[in-house]
Parts: sequence; structure tokens; C-alpha cells
Amino acid sequence: MNPEQLKILGSSFLGDLLKSVNLFYPETALVVTFLLAILVDLFTRNRPSCKMSGYVSLIGFFVTAIFLCNSPQGMSFAGTYAVDAFSIFFKWIVLITSFVIIVFSFFSKELFGEERQMGEYYTLIVGMTFGMFLLSGATNLILIYLAIETMSMSSYILAGYTKEIKRASEASLKYVIYGATSSGIMIYGISLLFGLTGSLNLSGINAYLAGNNVNHITLLISGIMIIAGIGYKISAVPFHFWTPDVYEGAPVTITAYLSVASKAAGFAILIRLLNSAFTIHAAGDTINTAWSVMKNVDWTMIIAVLSVLSMTLGNFVAVWQTNVKRLLAYSSIAHAGYILMGVAVMNYTGVSAIMIYLAIYMFMNLGAFFVVMIIANHIDSEDLEDYQGIGYRSPWLGVAMTIFMVSLTGLPPTAGFIGKLYVFTAVLNSGMYWLAVIGVLNSVVSLYYYVKVFRNMFLRGAEKANQPIELSLTVKVILIALIIPNIALGIWFGGLVNWANASAAMILK
Amino acid sequence: MNLVDIVFYFFAVIIVASAAVVVLSKNIMYSAFSLLFTFFGVAGIYVLLNADFIAVTQLMIYIGGILVLIIFGVMLTTKITGLEMKTGITGKAQYAIGGLSTLVLGGTLIYVFNSTSWFKSPSVPTTSTVEAIGASLLTNYLLPFEAASVLLLLAMIGAALIARRK
Amino acid sequence: MNEILWLLLIFGIKAIIIISFVMLCAAAFVYLERKISAVIQNRIGPNRVGPFGLLQPFADVLKLFLKEDIVPKNANRFYHSLAPIITLGVAFSVFAIIPFASYLKIGDRVIHMGIAPNINIGFLFVLAMTSVGVYGITLAGWSSNNKYSLLGGLRSAAQMISYELAMGLAVISILLMSQDLTLTGIVEAQKGLKWNIFLQPLAFIIFLTSSFAETNRSPFDLPEAEPELVGGYNTEYSGMKFGMFFLAEYANMAAASAIISLLFLGGWNFPFIYEWLGFANGSVELVLVQLLVFLAKMLFMVFFFIWTRWSIPRFRYDQLMNLGWKILLPLGLLNILVTGIILMYI
Repeated sequence: MNPEQLKILGSSFLGDLLKSVNLFYPETALVVTFLLAILVDLFTRNRPSCKMSGYVSLIGFFVTAIFLCNSPQGMSFAGTYAVDAFSIFFKWIVLITSFVIIVFSFFSKELFGEERQMGEYYTLIVGMTFGMFLLSGATNLILIYLAIETMSMSSYILAGYTKEIKRASEASLKYVIYGATSSGIMIYGISLLFGLTGSLNLSGINAYLAGNNVNHITLLISGIMIIAGIGYKISAVPFHFWTPDVYEGAPVTITAYLSVASKAAGFAILIRLLNSAFTIHAAGDTINTAWSVMKNVDWTMIIAVLSVLSMTLGNFVAVWQTNVKRLLAYSSIAHAGYILMGVAVMNYTGVSAIMIYLAIYMFMNLGAFFVVMIIANHIDSEDLEDYQGIGYRSPWLGVAMTIFMVSLTGLPPTAGFIGKLYVFTAVLNSGMYWLAVIGVLNSVVSLYYYVKVFRNMFLRGAEKANQPIELSLTVKVILIALIIPNIALGIWFGGLVNWANASAAMILK
Repeated sequence: MNLVDIVFYFFAVIIVASAAVVVLSKNIMYSAFSLLFTFFGVAGIYVLLNADFIAVTQLMIYIGGILVLIIFGVMLTTKITGLEMKTGITGKAQYAIGGLSTLVLGGTLIYVFNSTSWFKSPSVPTTSTVEAIGASLLTNYLLPFEAASVLLLLAMIGAALIARRK
Repeated sequence: MNEILWLLLIFGIKAIIIISFVMLCAAAFVYLERKISAVIQNRIGPNRVGPFGLLQPFADVLKLFLKEDIVPKNANRFYHSLAPIITLGVAFSVFAIIPFASYLKIGDRVIHMGIAPNINIGFLFVLAMTSVGVYGITLAGWSSNNKYSLLGGLRSAAQMISYELAMGLAVISILLMSQDLTLTGIVEAQKGLKWNIFLQPLAFIIFLTSSFAETNRSPFDLPEAEPELVGGYNTEYSGMKFGMFFLAEYANMAAASAIISLLFLGGWNFPFIYEWLGFANGSVELVLVQLLVFLAKMLFMVFFFIWTRWSIPRFRYDQLMNLGWKILLPLGLLNILVTGIILMYI
């Protein structure tokens, strides 16, 4: 390439670049926040447990939210990154979760108990948010890989942030080892897919697969390998082995973060991959357009099997758990299974159901983990046994936890019911009755262990009522703020459903 | 069998043999040093593919950076703490399972690689790969390139955090 | 097939010439070092073997060959022998891409004055080779099974990795100037008096300092700091294996001098003399003059290396690391930034 050619290449790219920068404001805001958080931390270093960079991160998230509200839509950066309604929905979930998690962290005794430098904690959360933003819009295999790595790298460190606690270090190490293996598998799958199609952009892969006859077995192997890498992030069985240990060992805030945000981002990319790369498209998708999934590999069956495995294993193993964080870990595996049902149906109704489910799941899971954290602050334990009498010692916590558990089970009138309702409807509409039946049976099983938490809090240990747990006003306000969406979305869900329906079909190719 | 084939098999044998030592050796130091030859072999394959820039990057990053750090870690832990770093004794059952899964995986891969019609891009005679790589990094792959820098910064912060005493 | 054989023959001859040249250089530098240090310290230096002691290095080599090769009982024999081979091999291989002059034209055939001076990746190859060079020293330290050796090996590895970064950054600004990655291209870009030492003084200082550290020369010779580490990584080596490390040190110094001359001192460029002499491009006379100019610059750099060694005391280890990471690395980044901005606006 001579200088002249380079110049032509550069100027042809410039227009695209200028357009891309306009689409990239939210992410740019996050990167700026990320850098500012480091700098602020440098200047407030000599005051340990200073929350300054935490506040900077919150402000940064707020600015990001403003940009996200006004974000235009389109493909950017030479077709490597899509800004569409679909990804913006997921970005909202990620952003709200990140915001809430940083607020949670301010109340964590676990994190602030020691004289710990907290600057990097917020920095890493912002970095992880950036990674998940990229992941929800990435349409290029390399970008997908890098986004997953950005997200994982931060979460490895965050999981072991309380490094003097042995189980946190153990969790972090396990997470790294499993994570490295799974991303190795994923990049291998990516290389096979690239070898088959000669393209890294999902649209290019799609075009090649639609126009050429490729070897089915190779495509199957590479697809399974890539799905394994994503499945690890959403903790679907059989890629879930890290989940219980990491969820138990990591600080509660991070557990909550991993269980909501990285799961949401993982689902975003899974759906995008299946839709953009492996489905044949005609112009103008609407919510009712049926996907014509390429027939060379039975993606539906693969996802459905993963879904059944995740639900069943998650729920049945959760029954035996005595540690609440571990219990919630298995519950989150089970929820990944429910959400995978929505992926398995492979149409936009399913995608919309997943989006509704994830938005609701965010509120209920964050709530449950917040209660776990507040209880751990006071009784220094996460054992189910030690939860006896909590309902009497602090009715606030007891009632809140009950609402979250009911919501997680999916009973009316809570929001969890709406989430399940839409997913099951989508499954039934597509005619996969067997899958729906397994899902319903699993929900019944899950009732048992969620009720176990309730039972320990209210039906046991009434004699401890004389050791009340006092909650500060801010904690109560946060609890109310988390309870409200759990109830409200169970009654007035029209707005959310409309938003999800409007966004679901808007996956840019 | 022309010259390119001979060179390819030469490097391939180096890679496979030294990789086998990496896996099978009981002494972790031998494993680490054999990895050196594996990386060298891979760099050789890159040169054979006309990817000279990638080859040198491979040498600089994997041999000059990552492997040195591995060896550092091993040397500091074994000699200074006096701990013997050896892999556990492998039983017959493990050998059997490991061997079997290697055979199955290897067989599948060989079958897949031979039976697949891979995408072949039109061959373009290249004189300089460096310019082409630089141009793509700043045009088509601008976003991944920038994302990688955030990723590396994060990793650095994390590493510093883990290394810090308190 | 004939073409390939012909190429192999050319490369073979070039390689033999260059390796003998490097060996000879190393021997000459050993002699120089002893003589110059003697002058600096008001001594006479070697003066017994041959006129002015000129044959001293050969006598040394002969002595090393005749010495018993002792391998410590607990040492790892294979790696113990491999280490000096790697070190020396890497030291030689750097010369593969060094152009000693521009080109020679015989008939239609253009013969480049180096084994592969036009290789595309150019300087990156040097960086890659120095990073491989770490292994020789690390292996030597580890396989000797001696704590002094081990510490020496570790130190040198850490030192070389740290300074390689600063070195690379300094070179990036040079590449920005020349817009070319090949060493020949870099030299051509410095025609006349546009030497990089004048245009890029900061890069020159960074590169020079890093070269001292990369070659483990004083004031950064911590890997072999006698008062602390006996002999450092080569404590347990004797006979010709020790000789190989010794040789490698001087070969590395020669390589570093050659590269500094090429990158910063304009290589074979010298103002006025070529116009004044008026030889045609590709003629033997021109190549000879260029060779002389280049060797003179190289020799000057070697003298500088030796001069520094006998004038400046050794750094402390933490000072060394601070200098590398906290001063040279940021300076290198700053230099790239400034260079980039200036180049954009002119």
C-alpha cells in the first residue's frame, strides 16, 4: 500500500468514523468516567475508604444515561458495532444494575470493614460496564471476544477484591481458570467460524452461510464452542461449575452484579449471534416476523437442551443448599435456564419475553442480594440456619426478602410472574409444549427452596425477637425503591412490555 | 514434497514434540522451557505464511513477555520458598482417560480439518504486511483496537491491585 | 530450485563473513577494554603477547579452550550447556539484519551488504532477539543450581524486560521520522546531516541508556555485580562455556553499537564526503568508504561503552528499576507524542 492508497482509504473511512462517533457517546462517557475514576482515586489516595471515585462513577453513569436516552441508531465503526433499540434496552439493564451496585457498595461492611483502598473497585465496575455495553452491541467476532474479555477481566478481580478473605481469593482463582479455559474454547470456535466463512463481521458470516454450502459438522463444532464461551458467562449448565463457588466467595455486591449484568450482556450477544449470523433475513423485521433459522445445524435443539439442563440442575441442587449466596447462585443458574427457553423458540416474541424477564429479574435479584448483604452486615453470616428469626428481628428485611423470593418464584401479583408468563407464552406459541411443561415443573421445585428462606425467617427462631436489627433510613429507602418495581411491574407491566416489543425486532444486521 | 512442505513439517514436529514435553513433563521448569520451543515453532509457521510481523510479535510478546513471567514465577516460588513444584503423580486411570480423550478430540479435529472445504481468500502477493495491518487497525478494526487498550488498562490495574500488599 | 541454492550460497557466505567479523570484533573489543581501562586507571595493560599485547585476546581464548569444563554436581546438565549456546546464538543473530553499507552492484545483481537488511520488520527483529536473549541468562542462572547464579539470572531477566519497553518506545519515534521499518530505510532517511541524534535527542538518550541495560554493561551490570553476587549468572561456568558468555557480552556490545550508529548516527551517512569523492552508487569504492564510515561510528560507540564502564559507579537495583519504569518509559511516551504532533503539522 503506497501513501496515496492509504490516503484514499483514510478519507473513505473518515465519514464512517464521524458518524460512528455520534453513535458512540454513551460508551465514550463510560471510558471518560473510567479514566476520571482512576485519577480521582490518585488524588484521594491517602484517605482510605474514601468514596470519591464512587461518586464520580455515579455521576458518570448519570451522564451515560443522558446520552443513552438521546442515542441515535445505526451501524458504526465499519460494521463492527451496532447501536440499535435491542442493544440500548440491554445497555439500560446493565447501566441501572451498575448504578445500583455502586450504591449498594457504600453500605457493604464486607468491603469497607478493613481499611481497604476502594478506588479500583469503582474503576473496575465502570470498566466492566464498558465491556458489557460493547458486548450488547458487538457485531464483529473480534469485538465480541474483546468485550467478553473486558467484562471477565474486571469480574475476575472484583470477585477477589476482598483478597485477605481466603474464600474470595479462591473464588477469584477458580473464576480465572474456568474463564481462561472457556475463552480459549470460544476463540477456537471463532477461528473455525472464520476459517469457514472468511469473515469476522456477523453480517458477512450470515451472507456467506446463506449463499454457500458449508460443512455441517465444522459449523456445529464451532457454534458449540462459541456458545460454550457465552454459556459460561450466563452460567448455563454444563458451563456453570464456577458459579456456586464464585457467587459464594465474592463480595455480595459483586455476586449480585455478576448474576444480573453479565448475564444480561451474555444473553444479548447470544441472541444477536443467533439472529444476525445464523438466520436468513428478509428486509424489515417486525415483532411477528418468524426467524428462518438456517437448517444446517439444529440451533433450537442445542439451546433447548442447555435450557432444560440449566433449569433442572439449578433448581434441584438449590434445594440442598444451606448458604444463601450459594442458594441464589443455583437459583440464578435456574433462571438462566428459564431465559434460555425464550432463546430456544427463536423468534422475536421470545426475544421480547427475554427482555421483559431480564428487566424484572434485575430488580428481584438485586433486591434479594441487597437483603443478604444487609443481613450479613449485622449477623456476619450467610447461612440459612442463621436466618432464623430475622423476620422478627427486623420485619423490614423479612418482608422485603419474602417479596423478592415470591417474585423469584414467579407467583402473582409480583413482577416475577409477568416475566415467567411472557416466556412461557412465547414457548407455548411456538409449539414447544414439552419445554414449557419442564419449565413449569421446575418452577414448582423452585418454590420449595425459596419458601425455605421465608420459613427460616418467620416460622423459626421467634425467640430472637428481642435482638432487633436496626436499619438506617437510607437502607429502608433503598429497600422500598427495590420493592416498588417488583410489585408495580406485576400490576402495570404494559409500558415495559411495549418497550420490549418495540425493541426486540430492532436488531441491526 | 517441495521445500515449503519440508519447512512446514520441520516446524510442525518442533511444535508438537515440545508441546508434548510441556504437557507430559513432571518438572514444571522443563515444561516452561519447552514452551519456548513451541512458541518458536509457531513463529516459524507464521514466517512460512508470509506473516512476518505476526511472527516477530509472537516472539516479542509470548517469548519476551509471557513466558519470561511464567519462568520468573516458577523460579521465584521453587527456589526461594524451597517448595518443589512438580505436577501430581499421574495414575493409570488418568493416563487412560487423558489418552482416550486426546485421541477422540484429535481424531475429530483431524477429520474436521480434512473434510471441511475452508474459505479460501484470493491470494494477493504481499510485500509488506506491516502497513496493511496498521491500516486495518486504524480503519476497519478501529473499535476492537481501542477496546483492547481499555482491556489492557483494566488488566494492568487489576494486576497492580493483586500485587499490592493491602 | 537453482535460485534457492544460489540464495542459500549467498546467505551462507555472508553469514560466515559476518560471524567471523563479529568474533574478530569481540576479540578486538576485549583488547580495547583492557587497554582503555588501563589508560583510565594509569596502568599499562596487556603488553606481553605480540606487539602492544595485541594477541592477548587470542591467548585468552586459547587458555579458555584448554581449561577443564566443570559442571556442578547438582546442575542440570542439558540446560547448563544450552544456556551459553542460546546467549551467543542470539548475540550473533542480531547481525543478520544489520546493513554494513548500502548495496554493491555487480552486473545486474544487487548485493546487499548484510544478510537480510531489507527485511520488512526491521528493528522489531532486534527487539525480538533481545527478548530471546533473556533466556540464555535465565537458564544459566537456574540450571547452575546456585543461589547467586539464580539471583543474577532473575535480575538480568527483570532488567532486560524493563528496558526493552523504553527501548521500543524510543525506536517508535525514529520510525515516525523515517516512515520505514527497514534498517536500510532508516539510514537512508538520515541522509546528509539529518541524523536522528540531532532530530531526536531524547530518543537517543533513552535508547542509549536502555542499550547499556540490555547488554548488562556497567553502570547497569547488576546481574554480575561482584560484591553482591560473586559472578552472577555465570558463577558456575568455566572453560569455553564461560568464554561463550564472555564473547556474547562483547558481541552484544558490538551489536548495540552498530544499531545505535544505524538508528541515530546516520549509519554510513557522512556529510560532504560522498559528494566530494563522487563515487557511483553500487560501486566497490563507495561501499568501502561507507563501510569505513560505519565502522568508525561503531568503534566510537564501543569506546563510549568502555569509557562509561570505567568512569561511572554501578546503580543500585531499585534505582535501576525506577529509572526504567518511572523515568525512561514516560519520557519515551512523551517523545512519541511530541514527535507525532510535530510531524502532523509540518
